[in-house]
Amino acid sequence: MEATKTQAIISIALVLSGWSSAQFSTRCSAQEQGPVSLPPPQPEPGVVAAQQQRIDAMKKASLATVAVYGTDGQGGGSGVCISADGYVLTNFHVSSPFGHRMRCGLNDGKMYESIVTGVDPTGDLAVLKMVGREDFPAADIGNSDDVRIGQWCFAVGNPFVLATNLQPTVTYGLISGVRRYQYPSGTILEYSDCIQTDAAINPGNSGGPLFNIRGELIGINGRCSFEKRGRVNVGVGYAISVKQAMNFLWQLKSGRVVDHATLGFTVATDTKGKVTVSNILESSDAFRRGIRYGDEILRLGDRDVATTNQLKNILGIFPDHWRIPIRYRNDDETIDTFIRLQSLHLPSELEEIIKGEAAQRQPSPPQRKPPGDKLPEDKPSEDKPAGDGKPDTPIPTQDNDPSDPSKLAPNTSNPEPKKDPLEGMYAQKRGFSNLFFNRWEQDRILKLQAQDGKWNETSASWKIVGQVPRENIAIDMNLSDENVLFRMEDKSDTVHPRQGWPQWIKQRSPIGIAMGMRIWQEWHRRGPRSMGDAVYLGRNPVVGREGLLDVNRITVSDFDAMVYTAPTNGQIELIEILSDNQTDPVEVYFEQYQNIDGRLTPKLVRLSYGMETKFLFSIDQFETKGTEEGKGL
Amino acid sequence: MKANRHCCRWTVLFILSMLFSPVHCCVNAVENKRDIKVEISNESLIATSQEKVVKLYGAGGVKGLESYQSGVLFGNSGYILTSWSTVLDVAKVRVVTFDGRRLDATMVGMDPQNELAVLKVDDAGLVGFELSETTAARPGQRVFAISNLFGIAAGNESCSAQKGVIMATTPLTTRRGKIKSLYQGKVYVLDVVTNNPGASGGALIDLQGRLIGMIGKEIRDEQAGIWLNYALPLDVVKMSVDRVLSGNTSVADSEIKAVAQPHRVSDLGVTLIPDVLSKTPPYIDQVRDGSTAQKSGLQTNDLILLLNDQRVDSRKALEKMLASINRADSFYVLVQRGQELMRIHVRP
Repeated sequence: MEATKTQAIISIALVLSGWSSAQFSTRCSAQEQGPVSLPPPQPEPGVVAAQQQRIDAMKKASLATVAVYGTDGQGGGSGVCISADGYVLTNFHVSSPFGHRMRCGLNDGKMYESIVTGVDPTGDLAVLKMVGREDFPAADIGNSDDVRIGQWCFAVGNPFVLATNLQPTVTYGLISGVRRYQYPSGTILEYSDCIQTDAAINPGNSGGPLFNIRGELIGINGRCSFEKRGRVNVGVGYAISVKQAMNFLWQLKSGRVVDHATLGFTVATDTKGKVTVSNILESSDAFRRGIRYGDEILRLGDRDVATTNQLKNILGIFPDHWRIPIRYRNDDETIDTFIRLQSLHLPSELEEIIKGEAAQRQPSPPQRKPPGDKLPEDKPSEDKPAGDGKPDTPIPTQDNDPSDPSKLAPNTSNPEPKKDPLEGMYAQKRGFSNLFFNRWEQDRILKLQAQDGKWNETSASWKIVGQVPRENIAIDMNLSDENVLFRMEDKSDTVHPRQGWPQWIKQRSPIGIAMGMRIWQEWHRRGPRSMGDAVYLGRNPVVGREGLLDVNRITVSDFDAMVYTAPTNGQIELIEILSDNQTDPVEVYFEQYQNIDGRLTPKLVRLSYGMETKFLFSIDQFETKGTEEGKGL
Repeated sequence: MKANRHCCRWTVLFILSMLFSPVHCCVNAVENKRDIKVEISNESLIATSQEKVVKLYGAGGVKGLESYQSGVLFGNSGYILTSWSTVLDVAKVRVVTFDGRRLDATMVGMDPQNELAVLKVDDAGLVGFELSETTAARPGQRVFAISNLFGIAAGNESCSAQKGVIMATTPLTTRRGKIKSLYQGKVYVLDVVTNNPGASGGALIDLQGRLIGMIGKEIRDEQAGIWLNYALPLDVVKMSVDRVLSGNTSVADSEIKAVAQPHRVSDLGVTLIPDVLSKTPPYIDQVRDGSTAQKSGLQTNDLILLLNDQRVDSRKALEKMLASINRADSFYVLVQRGQELMRIHVRP
């Protein structure tokens, strides 16, 4: 018992002291070697400047650091505010015990009511939204690709729930390792490409930020190697890279339960040390792009691949449905292409994980354990792949001690009942952590598009005429609620306006361009939700375009349409229509717009299947007033 | 009672060190003037040093015994220094270098007193730390530790780097009985949790990138539950290395010449534990009453480490080496008994 207590004191002292225990050794040597007179403290200007820089960086970083509590002020973890409108990044394992609402404390001493937007159980991330201010202090986002071993860094957070006055604790340290891969703890919480630091990360630091020495956010602290030493820091903490967090940010803002990805093939290291395909699904996009058993994978995303660990590292930072570059080599040649990533889990599996997490952490709030105690997760797991020897666990959230009033998080004392600031901000649906935010993001896009002109006033029947540039091939199409009519040179085809499209897609028919135009028309005339179930997915990359685009998936009938819009102006840049997972979708790129009668109208459209461009369509005539012939009033 | 006081002193020192830290910030700043200049090159300094630290894999993997640890390359001939531990109880220790190369190391020799072993790989390309000058470190000095703690790095992944300060230079002997360690000499006590599973044998470097010590094995005060973080200073390390390289080595099988009337294990009155492994450690299972072994002071459970200052790495080796000593001659053995080393003169 005594030993446990002592340990607790030391662990707390450790956190407080951080790096500066050098003085202790001075005392020690004084004991050994007789009195030593210290020189008067007159640091060089460079030292003072470096210290001032550090002080400033930590001050700014502390402003954006969030203490996360349950609605009753219990429990406790950390988070970091990343935008003025109050979005907070934290760990899934911090937010999950609290359900969908919690309270976030900032170092202005105030608690803000907060609600969960999205969760990523696999990557251990969650996004919350604080309400009550429009000018929340946000952290500067750094570049985790530039992080190197040997750089200084600091973690800010709420270890051991010390932030009773909501002033976070700063711990200083060294980058110990980069691009670490940590196997899933149990079935989830896989840490890919993470940053390892010896800055003290302890229970309660979970979900909190790791900053570089300039005070830029480089990671989200979430996991430690503990093994047999209980659950205080032993010099090894892991942070999810901010690059991964930014890749997932908009998926998390979508209010969904977000999933990670698989390539559709597995790899193994062959005898020569090459990373080769050991198994591949014929239904995968990778297979359609020509990857076969035995091919060597050279590059994925923006990085070279030399080991299977590296491949897993790279893959782990991408959400599902992203289309990312890959370079592979078969017997004859080296090929650069793009592949679409498949979901890692079935929706039902994700649901199970979330249920499991909730069950595991009940009853809430959990009881405090002495810091020296072993966690249930501490036991060495035997199902780990041989030789990995990486016994680490997610940092447990630190529970508050209800018997100690000084440890309770401060309450915003409101004697009279006030209107709930989170009212109306939560909606439940399968596959979502908070459906409200999915609508919210869709509305954001629709608001942006409002400036494109009043498309809802156009007729239900459009006629579009043009040609394939420089090839003198005439194209025209009629889009109406009766049918979609497409004519290219002398050949014409007709399809139903909203179903039966997959058979055409499988044949890679040129009518795909009219289908894309039809989705465009419906989106603009009646809105995405009129077509079917419309879900905002987040932001995905598009081949040949810089940056990420907002994506909505609309389940129309026997097919899904994916609509990609520019984050800046809401313009539709790409519409994909998916038939089934055996076939490449239609890709219709809207490459140029022009203003006609106050409406932003497509000017140049491109049709693609797979990686192959079929043709360009230059629009000469865009008739939206409708001929209305054959249509009774 | 005495033991208890030691334990308390430790605790108090720890807490003191923590509580006084903020007051002494400026002292730190002065002390670390030099650090600012090198801070820019921390990355390259650590990167260069990481190339001189290797990952070692051997026996273990059961009952909380790790099968991996760290090693430090020294010189340019493929020599590696590391902790002498059960990990090395294999015919060939697997060495993984910074660039992912997998090499097999042979044991050159070991120094039981300092719990240190020297291995060698046949690879001319490897560049190690220079051991020629011993760099003494002082308390208060900043250091970096580089090791493969927890076995986090695999293949060509870099070993982990940690920062710390030497808190004290002190012998381990006072902790005898409290903290289990064969090594009883001088150590650098560190303020950072360096001595994790797999870290032993790692490098402690100064801010100029010079090797100043080797991370020791995990040891813990059983009563207070405190794990000690420490490194063996370079002069200790170098003494061991010199000792090993200058003779306390295992003798090649071919050089052992059997004599006509040698000693035999059974004649000495000793039963060793059954020879079931390729390198069964020569543990004494039983000592016959009234035998030479008993009179000389050998006991059950003694582990024979050296015979006439030559390494005994297995039961087979012991039998072979005894066969080279005339029955009439006396000899010395070094045995490990619990946490102690004992040099025993065996007189026929």
